[in-house]
Amino acid sequence: MAAVKETVETVGEIEKYKYGFFTDIESEKAPIGLTEDTVRFISAKKDEPEWLLKWRLAAFRRWQTMTEPTWAKVTYPPIDFQDAYYYSAPKQTAKLDSLDQVDPKLLETYEKLGIPLTEQKMLAGVAVDAVFDSVSVVTTFKEKLAEAGVIFCPMSEAVRNHPELVKKYLGSVVPTSDNFYATLNSAVFSEGSFVYIPEGVRCPMELSTYFRINEKQTGQFERTLIIADKGSYVSYLEGCTAPQRDENQLHAAVVELIAHDDAEIKYSTVQNWFPGDEEGKGGVYNFVTKRGDCRGANSKISWTQVETGSAITWKYPSCILRGDNSRGEFYSIAISNGRQQVDSGTKMIHLGRNTTSRIISKGISAGRSSNTYRGLVSVHRKAENVRNFTQCDSLLIGDRCSAHTVPYIETKNPTAILEHEATTSKISDDQLFYCMQRGIGEEEAVALIVNGFCRDVLQQLPMEFAVEAQKLVGISLEGSVG
Amino acid sequence: MSEKETQYFIEAYEEKRAALPGAGGWLARRREAAMDAFREAGLPHRRLEDWKYTDLRQTLEKAAFAPAPAHEGAVVLPGRRSASAFASIDRHVLIFVNGRYRADLSQVAHLPKGVELHALADVVHEQWAKDLVERRFDDARQAENIVDLNTALMSDGACLRVRKGVKLDKPLHLLFVAQDAGASHTRNLVLLESEAEATIIETHVGEVASFTDIVTDIAIGEGARLNHVKLQDEASDAVHLATMRARLAADAKLSSFALTLGCGVSRGQSFVLFSGEGAEANIDGAYALRNKQHADQFCVIDHAVPACTSHTLFKGALDGKSEGVFQGKVIVRPHAQKSDGRQMTHALLLSRDAAMNAKPELEIYADDVQCAHGSTVGELSKDSIFYLRSRGIPEDEARRLLVLAFLDEALDLTPHDLARDALKLLVSEWFGEVAL
Repeated sequence: MAAVKETVETVGEIEKYKYGFFTDIESEKAPIGLTEDTVRFISAKKDEPEWLLKWRLAAFRRWQTMTEPTWAKVTYPPIDFQDAYYYSAPKQTAKLDSLDQVDPKLLETYEKLGIPLTEQKMLAGVAVDAVFDSVSVVTTFKEKLAEAGVIFCPMSEAVRNHPELVKKYLGSVVPTSDNFYATLNSAVFSEGSFVYIPEGVRCPMELSTYFRINEKQTGQFERTLIIADKGSYVSYLEGCTAPQRDENQLHAAVVELIAHDDAEIKYSTVQNWFPGDEEGKGGVYNFVTKRGDCRGANSKISWTQVETGSAITWKYPSCILRGDNSRGEFYSIAISNGRQQVDSGTKMIHLGRNTTSRIISKGISAGRSSNTYRGLVSVHRKAENVRNFTQCDSLLIGDRCSAHTVPYIETKNPTAILEHEATTSKISDDQLFYCMQRGIGEEEAVALIVNGFCRDVLQQLPMEFAVEAQKLVGISLEGSVG
Repeated sequence: MSEKETQYFIEAYEEKRAALPGAGGWLARRREAAMDAFREAGLPHRRLEDWKYTDLRQTLEKAAFAPAPAHEGAVVLPGRRSASAFASIDRHVLIFVNGRYRADLSQVAHLPKGVELHALADVVHEQWAKDLVERRFDDARQAENIVDLNTALMSDGACLRVRKGVKLDKPLHLLFVAQDAGASHTRNLVLLESEAEATIIETHVGEVASFTDIVTDIAIGEGARLNHVKLQDEASDAVHLATMRARLAADAKLSSFALTLGCGVSRGQSFVLFSGEGAEANIDGAYALRNKQHADQFCVIDHAVPACTSHTLFKGALDGKSEGVFQGKVIVRPHAQKSDGRQMTHALLLSRDAAMNAKPELEIYADDVQCAHGSTVGELSKDSIFYLRSRGIPEDEARRLLVLAFLDEALDLTPHDLARDALKLLVSEWFGEVAL
């Protein structure tokens, strides 16, 4: 009964969005609105080289000519891009030597979030780069990583210390012209993590980033770049929270992964941005572009995501399978409750020979939410012996929510074997009755059944995350029965 | 919008409007509005989501179809087998040449009492015809908008009304022959009142560069049943655009099967709307393509009320540089509980250059439903070929057997026994012409 007890505790423990607090820290912001000056301001703040400023400005000019995409199954009032701050940093800019110098209030925030920021409290073997609003606060475990030759640092630091790497790879997977939000990000990105794993190195620990939007009316635009050189391996975790607010906050990140020959990148996300209240007021707009490039032969990129937060999610972590024998994986749990809207999925672009991909997507909608899986599997003419398996299952809880599946399958090579399956169902009364007649309450029974439904994906998460994600699954569905 | 390819149709409309059926009445106003809408929207192109894989604008721009002339006198049926595929079935035959009804060639004798069969011009003043023409489904506007072109220019069509409880004794065969190059716009109207039954067989053949634009509007009353079999085998430089819109009342049943063998570019659109509980729709089809043929199957099924069942299965074999498309959508509206929607599409790629695009979509707003879709694309299994060869069957024959067996699963769903046999024979002959 341990599991049951735990579920009861978790459900009891957190009644509402528990990350909804706001930390009062003085911050420095760019003037409200977005103009070329904002871009210059951010670039100057970060002390960036000329080429990067040019790159940003080019992206900004392009962005001005673009229109917001409307094809996703989400509705929201038009966003006023001029009514937001594009840069906000906790005021305290002096370089830090040790954790003791970090603003204790910040540390407190992270503690509340349950991030093992200080090394004493750290879960063994997780290096954390924490991003607070737009600035990376601290990166832990730096030395140990440096020993292995791994570079794990905030993006701004990478621009300073490893400009050749940044220049070579930045924008090489998600070009500045990619889409409206990626272009916006290219113009105003302010922080993010940079990871470089040298040839033949197996990263000695899990790398992790926590993102938090704290300041009011701010957008967060981080940019993550992970490069796994030949034969290396890295597992990267990302978690996100934001305070509870009435207004909508924009989060438009770009994540680029590059895997060279025989390299493997495992990228896991637990996204728990504030989803808005029951009436759909407030919450984060999560418009994110994530793409991995299996550039080398035998490389592998695996995306795992647990999406429970955000008012609106618009996110399609993708894999370009360029190298021969490369493999792409996508495991996703998307849970929507209240009035959340999720439009998420993946793209698997098969270019190389013998490339394989696997997509497992579990969508759970409750309340009045809408949950869409949108995915593309594309096989190009020269991609021989491609194999893809896709499974998307939707679970509906209650009769006011909706679940949609929009898969695109495009094949130009006869040797490809593609399979797509999807089902939509509700929690069966039999299962529910079985649990309840053994004395398990309805809500808890639902959480148990849903956890079972998600098992294939939860198993893909690194251990510490899996525990957290399992709890989140239970919490997100609160109030959805009865 | 005054693009070239639209211009042909606009000019055709200006020139012929006075001579089209329904001039001076409600239909003339409806045509005017439809033409305005068409002029505004233009021909669909790939930037529209519903037309993502088929560019009708480009296709028609290349072909530049003028209206097909009215054909008088004798008609030579194309040499293809498909023209006479259904000859052995005891049936009523209506023949349309270049989209116009030819009474002199048709054979309709002794229709049962309660069965009314007319040409379009004879029924446009009737309310039921008006209801069918004016009805829009709005589940996939981008796809349905092209019906405006047909509404503006429709010149003829078969209009069948079967009264309450009446059964059409023999299948009604509509044979459309494209005798001369050019565009034709045909509208069929089918109304089955409650408990009525009918079987319609539709054949499209031709040896010329034609553009066939055909819309079939169907209403099926309570407990009524309609079987529909369609065979399309037009010339390789022909373009075929067919739209079927069907509305089903409670306990009604529609079974539709379409076999596509011909045409350079073809698109079959099906819209099904359930308006009464307990109805059932089977929208199935098969296609066998080669060379540079392109066939698009577009299918939207709207479970607007509870407890309806829909089944969709499309299977295709693609050879040469051909391209197959399946775009389907099953919508389950809020409160449409106990809906059962199944949607399957499978394609076999037989050559290096063939391509398949599929987009089976589910849009579900109710929780107590059973919905599933599946899609597979691949080549013939090497193991199966090996298995057959190890039993002494030559490779060519083994491949042929396997492809036929693959398509058979779909062909078996043809809702008329003799028509099913005829289609199977055609498909097996199709392989006689293709070196697999």
